[in-house]
Amino acid sequence: MKRAILSCAGLDRPEGALAREVALLGAEATGSEIICPVLLNRSPARYRKELSENALIVIDGCATRCASKLAAQTQAKIERKVLVYNDMKTSALPIEPSLRLGPNGLALAQAIADRLIKDMNSQSAEAEPVVSWDAPAEFLTVTHDKFEFRIPAADYLFNENDCWVRTVNRAARIGISDYMQQRLTDIGFFTPPETGAEVEQFGELGSVESAKAIFEIISPVSGTVTAVNRAVVDNPGLVNSDPYGAGWLVQVKLESLEQDQELLLDGAAYSKTVKRKAAEP
Amino acid sequence: MSDTTFMGVPREKIPWFPTIEYAKCTFCMECDKFCPHHVFERRESQPSLIVAGPNNCVVFCRACAKTCGPDAITFPDKPEIIALIKRIRGEEAKQ
Repeated sequence: MKRAILSCAGLDRPEGALAREVALLGAEATGSEIICPVLLNRSPARYRKELSENALIVIDGCATRCASKLAAQTQAKIERKVLVYNDMKTSALPIEPSLRLGPNGLALAQAIADRLIKDMNSQSAEAEPVVSWDAPAEFLTVTHDKFEFRIPAADYLFNENDCWVRTVNRAARIGISDYMQQRLTDIGFFTPPETGAEVEQFGELGSVESAKAIFEIISPVSGTVTAVNRAVVDNPGLVNSDPYGAGWLVQVKLESLEQDQELLLDGAAYSKTVKRKAAEP
Repeated sequence: MSDTTFMGVPREKIPWFPTIEYAKCTFCMECDKFCPHHVFERRESQPSLIVAGPNNCVVFCRACAKTCGPDAITFPDKPEIIALIKRIRGEEAKQ
């Protein structure tokens, strides 16, 4: 399906060349429009039509994330973000240090683009969960000034990084707490982890972004990612409106919950943590 | 905030904080602009950015490193820190 693709314009760094190549490969394979970041910055009206008619794929070169910042200034619906530097760091073949891509750089660009294209062509491939995830029945409440933070009284466990986990048999759903969603304010983007990825306890499960901050989702448990919540990818505001229910983020097949539990808090203990954090200056 | 704990362990016993590689840092200050926890501090003298509040850093958060274009911020090994936290908790439970 056709999209608009906005990539890094880094002409002075290899990451820029890599991002541009990924954008070109993605555009050629899917018939998508390339958005020039420099022109978008200079004359946003030029791309108004493309950005209102197509979902946007953003490809950043380095962590300065110029393309992401530029995209945030538009009204575009951002479908997916790619940071090619992450792939550069983990690639077995180091990319050439020149501003033109060499054989390794081209191979890496193709690998990143293949993953992106597969993702662009897939239609919500995640299986429906076979277990039922009822909404929490009872909440504990922590109040601070005019704020009120809700914490499920039972069935949810938390880490001190404000992420929750709920388990049914060997499946676990993970999200962020009501306290953290209120701290972040309106969440505008969810970068999900790859399905099939293995995560350690306190490892990263993607991130959520608001205008205020990027928040890394720190996994309360170890396991394998089996699904990400596509509804939140499409509508990140669900995390604000229903952080413990429809706003779940990632589903994981549990590895060693018994061991992980040692470093998790129940609702009552997490309430104390929220109380302490809310009172911090 | 030095009297806080993480998972029951005094924060100052957990060596989780960013280290700036000055050979790579361009002093763009993106990390300091991003982090709300007063971990970094800008100074008049060189280097013009230092890690002044290591214990204010949120344990396991690496978000500042993700704002760093030149990749000049490093963090300790997570599994090692988890093992350390578990060890300290075990020792305190025995006391």
